[in-house]
Amino acid sequence: MPKETVEQYIGNVTDTVSSFWHGLSITLSYLLRRPITTQYPDRTELPVRDTLPPRYRGFLEVDASICTGCQACERACPIGCIQINLEKDAANPKLRVVTQFDIDEAKCMFCGLCVEPCPTGAIQHTREFEASQRSVRNLTFRWADPENPFPVYKVVKGAEYFPRAPLGSILRARLEAKRWDAPGPEFLPPDPNAAAPKKAGPGAKAAAAKPAPAKVAEAKPAEAVQAAAQTAAPAEATAAPVAPAAPAAAQPDGGAAAAPTPPNPGDGQPA
Amino acid sequence: MEKLILRRVDHAGEEMLLNFGPQHPSTHGVINFLVDTDGEVMKKAIPDIGYLHRALEKIGESTGYPGFMPYTDRIDYVAAMFANEGYAIAVERLLKVEVPPRAQWLRAIACELCRIASHLVSTGTMASDIGATTPLVHALRERETVNDLIEALCGARLTYNYLRIGGVAFDLPEGWRDRVLKFLDHFDTMLVEWDRLITFNTIYIRRLANVAVIGKEQAIDYGLVGPNLRGSGMDWDVRRDVPYGAYPNFKFEVPIGRGKYGTVGDAFDRYYVRVLEMMESSKIVRQALESLPEGEIVAKVPRKVKPEAGEAFSRVESARGEMAYYVVSDGTEKAYRVRARTGSFTAMGIIEDISPGLMVADLVALIASIDVVAPEIDR
Repeated sequence: MPKETVEQYIGNVTDTVSSFWHGLSITLSYLLRRPITTQYPDRTELPVRDTLPPRYRGFLEVDASICTGCQACERACPIGCIQINLEKDAANPKLRVVTQFDIDEAKCMFCGLCVEPCPTGAIQHTREFEASQRSVRNLTFRWADPENPFPVYKVVKGAEYFPRAPLGSILRARLEAKRWDAPGPEFLPPDPNAAAPKKAGPGAKAAAAKPAPAKVAEAKPAEAVQAAAQTAAPAEATAAPVAPAAPAAAQPDGGAAAAPTPPNPGDGQPA
Repeated sequence: MEKLILRRVDHAGEEMLLNFGPQHPSTHGVINFLVDTDGEVMKKAIPDIGYLHRALEKIGESTGYPGFMPYTDRIDYVAAMFANEGYAIAVERLLKVEVPPRAQWLRAIACELCRIASHLVSTGTMASDIGATTPLVHALRERETVNDLIEALCGARLTYNYLRIGGVAFDLPEGWRDRVLKFLDHFDTMLVEWDRLITFNTIYIRRLANVAVIGKEQAIDYGLVGPNLRGSGMDWDVRRDVPYGAYPNFKFEVPIGRGKYGTVGDAFDRYYVRVLEMMESSKIVRQALESLPEGEIVAKVPRKVKPEAGEAFSRVESARGEMAYYVVSDGTEKAYRVRARTGSFTAMGIIEDISPGLMVADLVALIASIDVVAPEIDR
């Protein structure tokens, strides 16, 4: 490096200082401008979901009343977070009913590919996004009740309008009904160990409403006791093995819902 | 690399092996650099990549053709639109589908807005890495507006999934054109302010001029693309030289590095090329909005995308340089092979060669100036 003269040195220093103040003057001018930062969530004028554009891809919502059960959304989903099952109605064999319509919103990547092939617009993205849950299992939305399956919607030929509930209203009601720290269901429907899927259904609901229906209470400890008996135990020892067995069943999905409920009916069982 | 580690263990004194990353605020993602230093001067910096490898190319073989589109967003999350575009063009060539003009124009508008957003992140984080923390906030503020615009257009701020095979997903929303023009007017004045704030700041220039010089020949040898290649003085832009989409209809200049404050191909040139490119992108968006043709936004593509057996190749000018897709079809609904060639991967290769003799602090300037994004390296 060539040696600097004193003039160059002083020139560099003044250049740097003036350049520094030049930049700082712009920064200081921002003291006088209106801030663009908004404080979330308490100081927004409107709820944030109402300020989002209509095309916003938030949580998915299904209006079961106009679902045709065509499963186009299930096929379009690249990650398979939608699970649909159809069965023939027992009362009326010509009618098909949707027994399962689950969307795992924890897996969903909000790409919007499922919305496009839907013939009636039953499945739509809403502008809801504030739906964090303590238990990840609560993010599996069950749009069909296995106990009470809904019949598929028959499209009238030439129909241009489908009576859809206002976008977001169904989901909103669901989210408000479930607190963010609600315990998750003990297991979710595609449970490999479940004896019959029909019995697995109410179990999922039962976790939210603590006083469990009698049917579930009967079905579950019976299985647990059987499992315990196979592994080790004479009849007296059941109370101890049952307790670890139940949380272990809940573990693989990483749910925080190792609920204290299963051991209690287990205690009653050996007597 | 193992040899280097073994050798270093025995040594004592001024020389040491420094692990830079994998999690470090100035590595632009999860990358590790093994830096062999002698005091402050590097003997060599070896990039160690692969921390973000998610086998996206393999996923392309297991999802259908339309189903892979949202995954391409994840290849480069700062400029997802280009990854969408490259893949869409490749599959369209397989299917021999003609994209309607309006869709071509909409693609160009979305992509150029995305380029502005990406270069804002790039230049902002570069200033931040060098030590000037203020400009990053200014850049992110502008990018937020671009994100709002793209969100209104396609519903997402980062992983757009806006393009479809044969066109685009949505037409312009109501009032969007005016919003974009208003933003561009604001953005042009903001770029002037940006130049005053940081680009022509003496301290910033002195920090970057003559640092990490990549010569023209060397840049070509290492396969650098995009702004990194143009920063070295090579006049090459896929948009102009291998035209695709709507680009032949727009007039724009291709800025190249001219050694404004030092040698051609130094870190400042690569930075300044990006600033100039933002201006050009702004011009392109204006032209595209003016000359937007009417018509369909998506071509007639069968619901089951099932191209004939064959292969297709596409190249687009992404914000991080030329992005190429190579898709092989075996006549089924799933691709036989999907390959993405990205700019960041080749840019990482040159670090080992450029680093000897640089200061450790200049490594940060080098990484920032070649603008790598970790998921784009690893995919």
